[in-house]
Amino acid sequence: MIFSHLLTVQSGGIKRSSLEVLARGLALADALNTNGYATELHAVVCSPEVADWTAEKWSAELGAYGVDTVWSATDESFKEHNNQALLAAMQTAHSQATNLEAKPSVVAMASTEGVKDILGALSMRLGASVVADVSEFGVAAEGDGLQLTATRPVMASKAQTQVQTTAKHVMVSVRSGSYGILEAAGGHEGGTPTHQPVKIAHLNVDQTDSKLQTQIREIITAAADTIDLNEAEAIVAAGRGVKDETAKALIAELAGVLNAGIGASRALTEAGVYDPSVQIGQTGKVVAPQLYIAVGISGAIQHVAGITNSKVIVAVNKDADAPIFEVADYGIVGDLYEVLPALIAEIKRLKG
Amino acid sequence: MKIFVSVKMVPDVSAPMQIKNGELIMDADRAVLNAYDASGVEEALVLKEAHGGEVIVVSVGPAKAAETLRKALAMGADSAVHITTEGLDGVESLDSYSYARILAAYYADQEYDALFFGKQSQDTDAGLTGGMVAELLGVPYVSNAVGITREADGGFLVKRQGDSGQEMVDAGTGCLITCSNDMNEPRIPKLKGIMASKKKPLEVVTLSDLGVNAADVQPKTQITAYGEIPARQAGQKFSEGAAEDAGRVAELLEQNDLLS
Repeated sequence: MIFSHLLTVQSGGIKRSSLEVLARGLALADALNTNGYATELHAVVCSPEVADWTAEKWSAELGAYGVDTVWSATDESFKEHNNQALLAAMQTAHSQATNLEAKPSVVAMASTEGVKDILGALSMRLGASVVADVSEFGVAAEGDGLQLTATRPVMASKAQTQVQTTAKHVMVSVRSGSYGILEAAGGHEGGTPTHQPVKIAHLNVDQTDSKLQTQIREIITAAADTIDLNEAEAIVAAGRGVKDETAKALIAELAGVLNAGIGASRALTEAGVYDPSVQIGQTGKVVAPQLYIAVGISGAIQHVAGITNSKVIVAVNKDADAPIFEVADYGIVGDLYEVLPALIAEIKRLKG
Repeated sequence: MKIFVSVKMVPDVSAPMQIKNGELIMDADRAVLNAYDASGVEEALVLKEAHGGEVIVVSVGPAKAAETLRKALAMGADSAVHITTEGLDGVESLDSYSYARILAAYYADQEYDALFFGKQSQDTDAGLTGGMVAELLGVPYVSNAVGITREADGGFLVKRQGDSGQEMVDAGTGCLITCSNDMNEPRIPKLKGIMASKKKPLEVVTLSDLGVNAADVQPKTQITAYGEIPARQAGQKFSEGAAEDAGRVAELLEQNDLLS
């Protein structure tokens, strides 16, 4: 069986959300191999030419996660997200990795916007069964194929379902924070490879413009120095209570001392106070940092649906009855203009 | 300009619900027009108002799904197509794959400038159907649209929310676009619209009309049980004054190793 993972890298290396999926893949592959069901771990890396990042470097880092084969697709069309380019690369890699689909496969990916964009279409192209946005999943041999079982939140995270599917090829996308990265591998720093040597297979992708059905005309990017919320260990999020520049400056300062990403509720991104890229909740990003600090956020179910996997939630709100306090580990009832400066000072003092 | 918008009847996620023996029970059994689909309808209507043309709403579902189509007609859509699943024997519940097969079978025989979908259903949040239909039809697609404009040559320029920024994507014509609810505020039907909707054409299409049989729409995934999400417990709440509370919480964060 082939466990395959897609990574896209535009710059800055492999993302935490990808490493989480690979860590789960390694655990599953180890268990299946121990039970005598031969399982290989593959990674497909779609990337433009990135300075200092060669296929050899991918493989060193991915080897630490037990990856046996790296399919490296290097093409300028991966500089920006393009669903047709990714679909073509994945189809080629999948076909070769599974020996023209003879071997059963699991294709597992991190549930990013980029992956959400291709998941349905890719499942059709690979003839695979797919379960989207899961918080847990497992795989077992079943006949000449596989059975995938998964847990996924539904009904605005008011319930969860157990889902199963049996097929030759199965696909799954995984919510960030569902699995931990490998401590021993040292995450982004790389570490001791467990399954060396990694085989590198270069995918020949012809992504000339005429083959791509859609064209990106322009990218409207948020400030380049912002921390990716899917990657952030800590997030400070602003809600309706954050009304002016002074409050925004306090949010930025608190995020600064914690090295945290800045998020916002839908109310504030809709009002244009924060960039739409940082919207957290059912409609925006689902995040799972170690520390989530909600400032002036009342805690509507659509927002809470996006943060429930956070390890520790802190809420600061004037309204003692705000629903956010029902999910917060630590709540401070008070005015953010008074609480945040005090919190910033205390954290600075404790961090020395 | 002709735009089809696929709409789905979904349970109202804000209504009370409970889980008993692995089953989800919606107390009021209230069904609504999926909010993301409503944004698709709204955007299609805005484009029609600017450029002229026709907006047709399409829904796959049991008899009750006609209510959802009437709602979209009341918003201003010109006509509706109800692909009825009544009498579909031997299929327990449809999944994204089933819906995609049915909708693709319908759209394969239609002419259109664009197909709009909601980016996901508010009950399942899977977001698979749009991409599946695009792949089956072999048409270009853009997901998670937060803005759509039509250009002089008739092509659609879509602003999509990506992982780290917004992408302006030239999708051409004959494309499929899935819509975010961040794109617009769907209009609330007025009495005049509701009255008018009753007279608008609503065509009922059966699966056999589309040449689709039960085997074609067998779901690939099965829900085996519903369960409670392990609830977060409310923790400690402080209200002794900013300085004291902040000091207490900062200390707790330090003890939890969150300030390193």
